Amino acid sequence: MKFDLRLQLDLHLNPDELVACVGCGLCLPHCPTYRVTGEEIASPRGRIAAMRAVADGRAAPDAAFFGAMDACIQCRACEAACPSNVQFGHLMEDTRAAQAPERSRWQRAVEFVAYRGVLPRHRVLTSGTRVLAVAQRLRLVPTRFGLPQLSVRPPTPLAPDPDPDAYLFTGCVMDAWQRDVHRSALRVMRATGARVGLPGAGADCCGALHVHAGRHDEAVALAGRVMGAFPGDAPIVVDSAGCGAALADYGRLVGTADAAAFSARVVDFSTFVAGRSLATRPGSATVVVQDPCHLRHVQRAHLPVAAVLANGYDVKLTADDGLCCGAGGAYSVFEPELSLAVRDRKVAAIRTAAGTDSFVVASANPGCAMHLSAAGLDVRHPAELLEQRLGTD
Amino acid sequence: MCFPESTDDVAFAVQIANQFKMPFVARGSGTGLAGGATPLDGALVIVTTRMNRIIEVDPSARYAWVEPGVLNLDLTRAVTYLGVHYAPDPSSQQACTIGGNVGTNAGGPHCLAAGVTSAHVLAVDVVLPDGSIERLGSLAPDTPGLDLRGGFVGSEGTMGIATRIAVRLTPNPPEIRTLLADFTAIDDASAAVSAIIAAGIVPAALEMMDAQITRAVEDFVGAGFPRDAEAVLLVEVSGLLGGVEIESDAIDRVCREHGARTVRVAVDPDERALLWKGRKSAFGAVARIAPDYYLHDAVVPRTKLVPVIRRVYEIAEQYELICMNVFHAGDGNLHPLLVFDGREPGIWDRVHAAGDAILTACIEAGGVLSGEHGIGLEKRDAMTLVFDADDLDLQARVRDAFDPDGLANPEKILPKGSRCGEIQRVPEGAWI
Amino acid sequence: MAAGARWAELASTVAAADAVVAVGAGTHADIGGAVVGATEVTVPAGIVAFEPADMTATVNAGTTFAELAHALAEAGQECPLDPRDAEATVGGIVACGLSGARRLGLGPLRNQLLEVTFVTADGRVVRGGGPTVKNVTGYDIPRLFTGSLGTLGILVQVIVRTQPIAAASQWFRSVRDPFDLVAALPDAATIRWDGTETHILLEGHQADIDAQVCAVALEPALPGPQPGTLPDGPHRGRISVEPNRISELADGLRGLDARWAAELGVGTVHIAADDPVAVSAARDVAHHCGGWLLREAGAPELDPFGASFPAAAVQRRLRTALDPTGKLSPGRVPATAPASPVGAAA
Repeated sequence: MKFDLRLQLDLHLNPDELVACVGCGLCLPHCPTYRVTGEEIASPRGRIAAMRAVADGRAAPDAAFFGAMDACIQCRACEAACPSNVQFGHLMEDTRAAQAPERSRWQRAVEFVAYRGVLPRHRVLTSGTRVLAVAQRLRLVPTRFGLPQLSVRPPTPLAPDPDPDAYLFTGCVMDAWQRDVHRSALRVMRATGARVGLPGAGADCCGALHVHAGRHDEAVALAGRVMGAFPGDAPIVVDSAGCGAALADYGRLVGTADAAAFSARVVDFSTFVAGRSLATRPGSATVVVQDPCHLRHVQRAHLPVAAVLANGYDVKLTADDGLCCGAGGAYSVFEPELSLAVRDRKVAAIRTAAGTDSFVVASANPGCAMHLSAAGLDVRHPAELLEQRLGTD
Repeated sequence: MCFPESTDDVAFAVQIANQFKMPFVARGSGTGLAGGATPLDGALVIVTTRMNRIIEVDPSARYAWVEPGVLNLDLTRAVTYLGVHYAPDPSSQQACTIGGNVGTNAGGPHCLAAGVTSAHVLAVDVVLPDGSIERLGSLAPDTPGLDLRGGFVGSEGTMGIATRIAVRLTPNPPEIRTLLADFTAIDDASAAVSAIIAAGIVPAALEMMDAQITRAVEDFVGAGFPRDAEAVLLVEVSGLLGGVEIESDAIDRVCREHGARTVRVAVDPDERALLWKGRKSAFGAVARIAPDYYLHDAVVPRTKLVPVIRRVYEIAEQYELICMNVFHAGDGNLHPLLVFDGREPGIWDRVHAAGDAILTACIEAGGVLSGEHGIGLEKRDAMTLVFDADDLDLQARVRDAFDPDGLANPEKILPKGSRCGEIQRVPEGAWI
Repeated sequence: MAAGARWAELASTVAAADAVVAVGAGTHADIGGAVVGATEVTVPAGIVAFEPADMTATVNAGTTFAELAHALAEAGQECPLDPRDAEATVGGIVACGLSGARRLGLGPLRNQLLEVTFVTADGRVVRGGGPTVKNVTGYDIPRLFTGSLGTLGILVQVIVRTQPIAAASQWFRSVRDPFDLVAALPDAATIRWDGTETHILLEGHQADIDAQVCAVALEPALPGPQPGTLPDGPHRGRISVEPNRISELADGLRGLDARWAAELGVGTVHIAADDPVAVSAARDVAHHCGGWLLREAGAPELDPFGASFPAAAVQRRLRTALDPTGKLSPGRVPATAPASPVGAAA
């Protein structure tokens, strides 16, 4: 096959990671976009084949190629399913990093504002949030975006404990939009006997969205700031699965021993709670656990969620191997059609698991929570659900 | 390439192909191991992944009508609550489609006692190669005339495309016991397999994995497979309690008599599931050793396992290749894997030579080319090792009866020259 | 090689003949249309190889079931063909597509057959399938031969799957709802219902049989004639119907002067009558229930099949491809399939 050589593009993919796929196809059923399209090119195996073709110079890195790459939600369910341990997430991130300069001007402008101007600047984000809250009151924000009910007033600050033996990571969007989740997490952590500290200046954004978008250098810079905000060696508890996965991958992203040591301190909220004793009142309300991809497939730390909730609720699990809900950070904005098709499938699986019309969904990731709320589900963070059952009868 | 969503869509696609005399190939999840779904000569690829509805489930009559794109494991999961399952369980069952299973007459570990796909397909709605639609087989036990359903299953898309399939659902066994026996010598494990069958026991499944593959899958699943074993046997017995106890005790005894170091019994369904996950991930896990593999699917008489397995390793050693074995030992269905890095110069020649030698050894032991993967493109030219010219001519006639114009997945299964006279035929205008 | 010489001789006979038919024991000669004026050939008998540890047996097609059963039993094994008459030959059983009486538990005939060797119409000896218990090497010729009524080739040898004889085997009866029994006894070898009483054959380990008897409250079969005996008479047929519609079929059969036994969970109903009219009427009932009736004995005026063959064009092409001049068992199967009877398509 021949094509314009000027179109060649070095994807800078690790050749050993690239050949590790033997094409067995065991990833296919775990890929949300393959599940809803049935198309090979929308599957991990198909995407790796396309990457190989481009990397070998057998195919052009054209719009169709990048379209196929953009259609990936990066849920990384394929990684957990892969018997040969293919690092699909890395391959996709590297491909996107190579692709970043190829994007349209419009897309680059939007991304520049979001990734450079807003996410890493906490004050910009919080004041922007108040503008958004006013717009929400004026019904200018479509409900399909699934934003939580935002407050026009600045959120009440969280109060850290002195001499902390654990940190709570607060992050960017979540702190601005869902600070009540942090508040619940703090209360539950304290109920386990922890003294909870908050990050110092600089931990405004973990950089996860930057990594997904292929904005590697910005992500590394953000990581450096975040690591500086957590002195000592106390565990860093994260109540957002997406942030947790990013923090836990700093070791690879930054590539230093310090970063690896930092990553080793990162622990998901439910895992932290599950390892300590917590008094909860039993209850029978139905809770369906939604496994965020970054908790289940990336951190492989989804089991404690059901475990900690089981003492206070009738916990149900979906029978879809933790298939993605379609949120995927900014994915739902850039690929709305696929995102909604994936969500429909997830909502059906959740309703089947619930077996009743009266249920709450537990989601440990704010992005998933917003996406599923927009589909009309009542979604809460495990911390909020646990907080409701604190104490003894 | 097209993505039909109904029987009529498939018929339409096949009619178009007929109009343009264009070959066509059906494709499911693309998990096949013999290249049966590989399109050649600009063939129209008819992808069935969007035909993925379970149309009807009848737990009392124990059947389900499904579309070909339904994934094998999805079907079993969808009917589990009714106390039944779909018995054929290829190792790729989480990804492969029922349509593909019908095409290859797929097997799987639990086909030892339950039988392969053909024993579980009651009827198929088929778009024949001329674009017409027919139902082959029936929910009734027999149909008038020839068993075309039986002929169609395993025909690898050369007799048409299945668009609706009635499969048999099997009641879940009340008792299941899964044993993991580990051996310090391959020969001992092979001998134990033959001895179990010779003792008159047909377990639900009887699988063997050698040292390298066991370590590779253990790295993936962490199920507690012994890393220092030369071979492990994964044996499952199921059914009513009395028989399960008697047979699992007997298997335990036979394994120990043949040198098993330990025989572990899975204590709960989770442990059993993990052991099976390990076994079924084996092919996918080989990239942990090297990025490419070449695989055979020969079947040998179960009494010949010891010498044949020994010979397979000798051949690999002779060609300086890594050989790993993971297979359905209970029915003698070998899966010798030659594992290598295709980027190494000249390696493909060695792999093919070793592969041919292995196949020849299996056939000399009274074996056949393929137990469950099919012939496809990959083993097509080896058909002459097991069938003579008259046998192949007959098969070609059978195929032509379904597909007179030769458009349905041509170039697959039968080697060139299968039709009598095909080789001798002198092209028009040729000078003799 | 003696067998090879016999096959070569047979092959030249077949090649030379204008019409040829293989005759076995003649126990099921009424299945299909009558073959008139064809050269009759017989094929060799005898067990060629039996390896108990492989659970396979190579058998000449002329071997009777009785002889096969006897040879296998010496090693504690069996091949559950279970014909009505044990003198039936293995080749005849395969050609007629006769599944055994324990089909519910042990599966149909087609699952037992691994390899076929046969003489083609043009006098070649051809093999299809393979000797191993699992095989997808090439087309499934053995399955095409089951029930082919001698129209594709003259079977000379088959390889069949064998299995250990169950430790215990016992008939029971029950007056419970027969369809409940099918659900309650998923491991039964057969559940046979004659419209009033149900007989159940349980096989396996004694402890399991006892447990099932206890759980479902079965009574031992009454002493006397073998409880599994199929209804007999000069005119017989075999109905094939969806298992779900047996109850409806039974309602239709009740008014007829015929004896019948239904294999529940399978959908086979054996019917026997003293008057061929009853078999004909039973066929109407079968058609009404979406099934069909194969004439098995007697009823000479009755069409042997009474139903159209599915994918008739493919069937015709297949027979023509293997037998271009129509010399194999001419008349056994209609040259063109009969028109679809009213109700059969329901």
